[in-house]
Amino acid sequence: MKLLGMALMFVGVASFASAVSVPEIDPGSAGSAVALLSGALLVIRSSRKK
Amino acid sequence: MRDTEQKPGVSRDNGLQSTSSSNYHFIHIHHSSLGLTHRLILFVLLFAAEWIPITHFVHKGRGGGSFLYIAVAFSSLFMAIAYFRSKDSFQRISSQVKKTPIRWSFFAYHLVALAAFLGFSSIPTGSNPLSYAITALWYAAGVLAIVLAACAFVPAVLVLEFVRTTGYAWVYALVAAIVAWRVTIYASLGNGAVWNPAIDLSWKPATDLTFTLVKGLLHLFLTQVVADRATMTIGSPKFNVIVSPWCAGFEGTALMLVFSVAWVGYFRREFRFPHALLLIPAGMLVVWLSNALRITALILIGVAGAPNVAVGGFHSQAGWIAFNCVALGFAVVTRHMPWFASNRVAPDMFAPDVFASSVSSQPAQAPLSTHAVHNATAAYLTPFLAILAAAMISRAASGSFEWLYPLRFVAAAAVLWFFRSEYSKLDWHFGWYSVLAGFSVFGIWLGLDVMTGTHAPSAIGAGLASLPSPGRIAWIVFRTAAAVVTVPIAEELAFRGFLIRRLSSADFESLSPRYYTYVALLVSSVAFGLLHGERWLAGTAAGLIYAAAFLRRGRIGDAVVAHGITNALLAATVLTAGKWDLW
Repeated sequence: MKLLGMALMFVGVASFASAVSVPEIDPGSAGSAVALLSGALLVIRSSRKK
Repeated sequence: MRDTEQKPGVSRDNGLQSTSSSNYHFIHIHHSSLGLTHRLILFVLLFAAEWIPITHFVHKGRGGGSFLYIAVAFSSLFMAIAYFRSKDSFQRISSQVKKTPIRWSFFAYHLVALAAFLGFSSIPTGSNPLSYAITALWYAAGVLAIVLAACAFVPAVLVLEFVRTTGYAWVYALVAAIVAWRVTIYASLGNGAVWNPAIDLSWKPATDLTFTLVKGLLHLFLTQVVADRATMTIGSPKFNVIVSPWCAGFEGTALMLVFSVAWVGYFRREFRFPHALLLIPAGMLVVWLSNALRITALILIGVAGAPNVAVGGFHSQAGWIAFNCVALGFAVVTRHMPWFASNRVAPDMFAPDVFASSVSSQPAQAPLSTHAVHNATAAYLTPFLAILAAAMISRAASGSFEWLYPLRFVAAAAVLWFFRSEYSKLDWHFGWYSVLAGFSVFGIWLGLDVMTGTHAPSAIGAGLASLPSPGRIAWIVFRTAAAVVTVPIAEELAFRGFLIRRLSSADFESLSPRYYTYVALLVSSVAFGLLHGERWLAGTAAGLIYAAAFLRRGRIGDAVVAHGITNALLAATVLTAGKWDLW
């Protein structure tokens, strides 16, 4: 559920990230960037169980 | 090719963990057993599947885009707030929802409303009363279509009960969504003027601060710095840029605010309060500073003679790279700072969640291997993450042509080699159907490519033409090797080997590789499709077919071979027909 909550938050944020084309955060790269962040967080959190 | 057939319903365990030879069975879930979360996911998927294809013509000039942004943000925020405010109600209503079948009659009504919505979309609008009426009907049909679809999945009475038990959560969510929309969207005031929040909300002091910081940093590297505060132009006489309000660090800072609040909130039992609240502004400050470094680096790259790289790849990638680095650093560093840590025992952050709780029966539980032995999540995910990270770096170092693409192959190969002993425990055999699946996806991919029309022109052809022959050959060899070898292995490990089971249980290793739920199957395939950008539909279909190949015997080899064959055929098409846009 925590993962789901995080995902919901980012869906909400991403809806605005894609609203305007701006220089700092490129909406076109949002998918792979969020996937990278989410996956890396999963790996970090799973290593915590050791 | 070798096909190791097995009896239906019995799977060998091919997980990275060594488990017993327990008999596993496919767990099919009846729709009436779907809980609230599952149904919400299905609703969102339906919404996306219907909205994305028609988005090109339904909201032009009618404000539908803003409506969509507010709706998505409101729904997301409402569910997040509601869950924390009324966790018990959420679970109670979810259990009630499980007893209610999906109501297909409402789904039919939804289709009728959607058809009306599309019909009104096709009518041109103007500035007369009739047009306003049509626009009103268009909005009404759209909202009705959404409501009817929601009622198909969750009975209205339960929705109302849920809203009632969550108090004013809907008000908070609505206010937050509208505020966020107003802050991010240019708004026409109706009198010809345009309200630009980036300017009108007076970001000037903060933008000035970024400007000053960049100017100071540039003086460390350049002897002659151009800095015109009136136009916010900064750089050197040779290469300079304009620091607009939007690139002054607000987006990254806002993302970090959301991330840090969510992180500290979700894992609050691990943190000591109020100490942990300091982490939020600290994270935002670091992101803001990283943006100044980004602008400085961009200018220096341009000054060094690579303006195409500066305004091309680096410009679009550096923001995400900086944000990801800071966010991951935030997650790692906060674990090792006792001053922020709670004295209580940290809970299992990824305890089995609602995905697991809503299946009708639990799979046979294999003996758990200890997590202390290895990190299976890392073994399954890291190759794919390495490709994503290498891609971001590679794009950031490129202009229109990604000359550093071989970095993706090298990064994935290195990680695969690092975890090779773990992968040796997987079943890499494959059967005839994986070959068939590979060819099928290739056909679907090309077919949808033709149906969906032209795609953005690729810069690969021109980029390769500018390279000397050895460089051109090396690039093609690495690109093909990545497409046929490292990408299929990395993506199949992540999406089929990991995600399908991980969406069902945090302890995914205890599940048979053949275990799945429909929701997990769908979500993993859609996620796979979305990563393919404008070819998301073909990507989703490919994900489903590779999943079918994988689940038939529970062998990762089947999915990898299917994926590899598709990519090999695509590579052959690219190289023989010059269809570079397929890469």
